[in-house]
Amino acid sequence: MLHRDLKAEDIEVFSQALVEYFQVTTGEAALVRSAYLLDSGEPALWNDFNGLINVTGGYRGSVCFSAPREMLSHVLLLAGEQVFTDERHSDIVGEIANTLSGRARRHFGEGLEISVPIAFPGRVATAPSAETFTSLPFAIPLAWYGYQADLVVRLDRRS
Amino acid sequence: MPRQLMIVDDSMIVRNRIARLCSDGRLAGLAIVALAGDGAQALELARAKRPDLVTMDLTMPHMDGEACIEAIAAELPDTRILVVSALSDKATALRALLKGAHGFLHKPFKDEDLVCALTELMD
Repeated sequence: MLHRDLKAEDIEVFSQALVEYFQVTTGEAALVRSAYLLDSGEPALWNDFNGLINVTGGYRGSVCFSAPREMLSHVLLLAGEQVFTDERHSDIVGEIANTLSGRARRHFGEGLEISVPIAFPGRVATAPSAETFTSLPFAIPLAWYGYQADLVVRLDRRS
Repeated sequence: MPRQLMIVDDSMIVRNRIARLCSDGRLAGLAIVALAGDGAQALELARAKRPDLVTMDLTMPHMDGEACIEAIAAELPDTRILVVSALSDKATALRALLKGAHGFLHKPFKDEDLVCALTELMD
């Protein structure tokens, strides 16, 4: 049976990381909405570009930032980029996922071991993972300059 | 003569961003000598180019930043290394410093924070 494994303060860490990322790197804070559990058990929010970090160690699961092309183009523009290829969009969506995961590690500790980013495009049904999980994933929706994006986190604590 | 900087990060966006700080004059006195996307490539380039300063990511494919710091510190003890990483917990920072890094800047960072950190390392 799937269950909720993380506490409210654990989830808040990811919300704060989102606010901090956009404020620091673009000068415009993201408006982060309330997190909610994905009852289906499978993240189904994937957007044009998705940056996935696999988590191992004391936890297992993933952190995935999913955003539309136009939003990432805007982030790239503010970062000083003048090239807007799929490669650059995949790079920035992976870098955002990596930064958010790294920030979360300050809260969860070294037990949260994070992988290099894996970028996958498109609106696929599920994240690329061979693992089965016992906890439900949760989604944190955010708005930034009118664009909508989601952070989807799934973490099982290892006993 | 400008000091020579090598930028190591698996994100091209981050490499470009740091490089622009040199090209637009905000990091005066630094010239880019190499760009690397992973630790193994960085070590090879460090041996060839012998940079004065390195910005080093930690989570990278092939060889991670900690292993690369250790190798560069052993082979090029005069090279100063600034870790620029999303892994910002104290234990990770301490381990990187013990392996030979000289400073630590966590992501996300503002341009001025990086300029300040690199300027301190140059002094």
